[in-house]
Amino acid sequence: MYITADQTQHAAPPTVKRRRLRVLGTSITLLPPVRERARADLGFDIDFTELNFLDCQRQAAMEPQGYDVYEQCFHNLDIVWFWGALQPIEIARIREWDNISDLVKLGGVSKYAGRGRGDAPVKKLYIQPGGFLGSKPSRHVSMLPTVHNMDSFGYDARVFGAGLDARPSWGWLLDRRAKGRIALVDEPAIGFFDAALAAEASGELEFADIGNMTIDEISALMKLLERKRVEGFFCGTWRGGDEAAMLVEQGSVAVQSMWSPVYGKLRGAGSHFIEAAPVEGYRAWHGGASLSYHLQGAELDMAYEYLNWWLSGFAGAVMARQGYYISNPSRARDYLSAEEWAYWYDGAPAARDLAGPDGDIVVPAGSRRAGGPYTDRARRIVIWNTVMDEYNYAARAWDRFVRRVTEGVEA
Amino acid sequence: MIRSSNPLAQEPRYELIARVLRDNIHSGTLPDGFVLLEGPIAAVMQTSRMPVQTALRQLLDEGLVHRFDGRGYLVGRGGNGIVPLRRDIRDFDLTIPPLVDDALQTRNTWRHVYDEVEEEVASCQIFGEFRIVETELAEHLGVSRTVVRDVLARLQERGLIRKSPTSHWIAGPLTARTVREKFELRGIIEPAALRLAAPHIRYAEVEAFLDRIGHDPTITPEELGDALLEHCIAQAPNTALVEMIRSNRLLLSAVDRALIRLGLPRDEDTIEQYQTLFDLISRHPIDSACEYLRDHLSITARRYLARMKIVAVIPKAGAFAPYLSPQ
Repeated sequence: MYITADQTQHAAPPTVKRRRLRVLGTSITLLPPVRERARADLGFDIDFTELNFLDCQRQAAMEPQGYDVYEQCFHNLDIVWFWGALQPIEIARIREWDNISDLVKLGGVSKYAGRGRGDAPVKKLYIQPGGFLGSKPSRHVSMLPTVHNMDSFGYDARVFGAGLDARPSWGWLLDRRAKGRIALVDEPAIGFFDAALAAEASGELEFADIGNMTIDEISALMKLLERKRVEGFFCGTWRGGDEAAMLVEQGSVAVQSMWSPVYGKLRGAGSHFIEAAPVEGYRAWHGGASLSYHLQGAELDMAYEYLNWWLSGFAGAVMARQGYYISNPSRARDYLSAEEWAYWYDGAPAARDLAGPDGDIVVPAGSRRAGGPYTDRARRIVIWNTVMDEYNYAARAWDRFVRRVTEGVEA
Repeated sequence: MIRSSNPLAQEPRYELIARVLRDNIHSGTLPDGFVLLEGPIAAVMQTSRMPVQTALRQLLDEGLVHRFDGRGYLVGRGGNGIVPLRRDIRDFDLTIPPLVDDALQTRNTWRHVYDEVEEEVASCQIFGEFRIVETELAEHLGVSRTVVRDVLARLQERGLIRKSPTSHWIAGPLTARTVREKFELRGIIEPAALRLAAPHIRYAEVEAFLDRIGHDPTITPEELGDALLEHCIAQAPNTALVEMIRSNRLLLSAVDRALIRLGLPRDEDTIEQYQTLFDLISRHPIDSACEYLRDHLSITARRYLARMKIVAVIPKAGAFAPYLSPQ
């Protein structure tokens, strides 16, 4: 854990105490360019506390006095919301609400698009009577929808083939061709589903509802993973983008879970390690920002200003440059060059080299985003990152599996 | 839980022994200079030597006895000229209050340790699967293996533990499936019991709680849940049904308490629901209260399932009794 305090000079006279907003979140959204710009635009200081997914949830639930705004994902909102740590967000106070896409409000980019299983954000969006979360529209939401993406895995084209013939399948995460060179992301609401999709795609298992698996189904999946582990299929797991990039650069993996910004970090391996557009569809996630329960008066106003700022375009553009989408793309477009918009949102070939959030080139000219335009990708969501009913059971079993992979236990 | 009528039944054995010795020293029954020896005291109290040792150390700390150049302790603060008085303690006709005597007698049964074990065994299950090590449990409680087996038998009978194929005692894990099933069962049997109980409900108590909900900000959902059970549902003239309800609730309540210990804040929505429920019970035909109770239970189940999920992000090292071994 580290706390990145705002280092920039105070513009106000020293006698006046600068207002300060404390944001708790993960590496997905707590990027320095976002904070600097928000600080300049809003005129108050912003502290970022960046934690990994699990620590972030725990702190958000149990120490809500320690932050004002919580930036996380819809799928793990249950944990924090039902611990009473957050307060409802008034839709009337969100200026861009009408421009927020149907992917989050309805559950699909259009009326006819598939909905995907598991914790689709719409299922946790609106506040229902009795303090529950649900998809029935009301005047309040639990989390302001912001950044999201459709995740898949990356693969070595030298092993699995390149071009349109490849037809990447989640089953490759358990494929004999990659035996000994497979890694999964170590997060029980994320990597678990990469493994579950792989188990179904390879024909090994079938789940009645992959988004809310039973104890028996979870046990069957863990048994399969353990068998594959003993046979030597997995070479590791990872928790952050840097680790994922390293596994690829070292040549340790032929196929693994991937996050979009990691492709931009690849150097030598970038030419043969390819983002999959899986034939089965994507595993998606949706992030957002929530308000701590203790906020009121001027502090609450400040938090609403920050939330509104998030959807005013700049942050959406920064997110796009690391491969993530924003819930109201039209405003982000104002802050993206035509070439950037064409590549990231329209799926067109990059007209020139494109830079990531920190200025490094992450997309070489001529390349094309896997899966095509935003709407094509969003139509093919089959599962959302999910904290299932049996999450405790699944998370414990997953931890045991990860420990065994890391420690290399024999059987 | 097994509630004993003797308030001293849950007190550690060494406390009881210290209490008897202290009272007899204060009253002068045991004179200054008398040599207190572990063996004979253990024989009088019908216990092992261990708790006697602890009791004597406690009296030493209190300054009621002192060490000397010999085996045992001398009664009194010590000083010059005190001659050790060596006689059999049974000659002194110790006063042992009936309550203490009774508590000491029941020491050797499983009942006095059961509640503590039940709470620990039930509440750990939200954190996964645990093996109960019999020898560790015996040592932890300071009781014999026979007593431990009685405790385990009772836990099994109440559905809190089971035997693994390798004959180990296993508790947990508490899954969402178990929680859903238990709430489903509650939804069936509790409204039914409430209906049967209608003529026997303690309406005055219900009114008192209704009044408190309005005025007492410290009132908790657990307290109200217990009140609903004791004053209303458990008044049903069907002991088998009431026993089933109690048994089915056991695990859920223990886990609830575990979550509260983790810091789960007071839940106003649930308190409001109890207010509505008590109001329906006391002022309306019982059918409406039964319907409402069914709804309340299905809402509670959903909330309960969501709240349980936090456990996956809490590090749990060192939080369990020593006889519970995480699997």
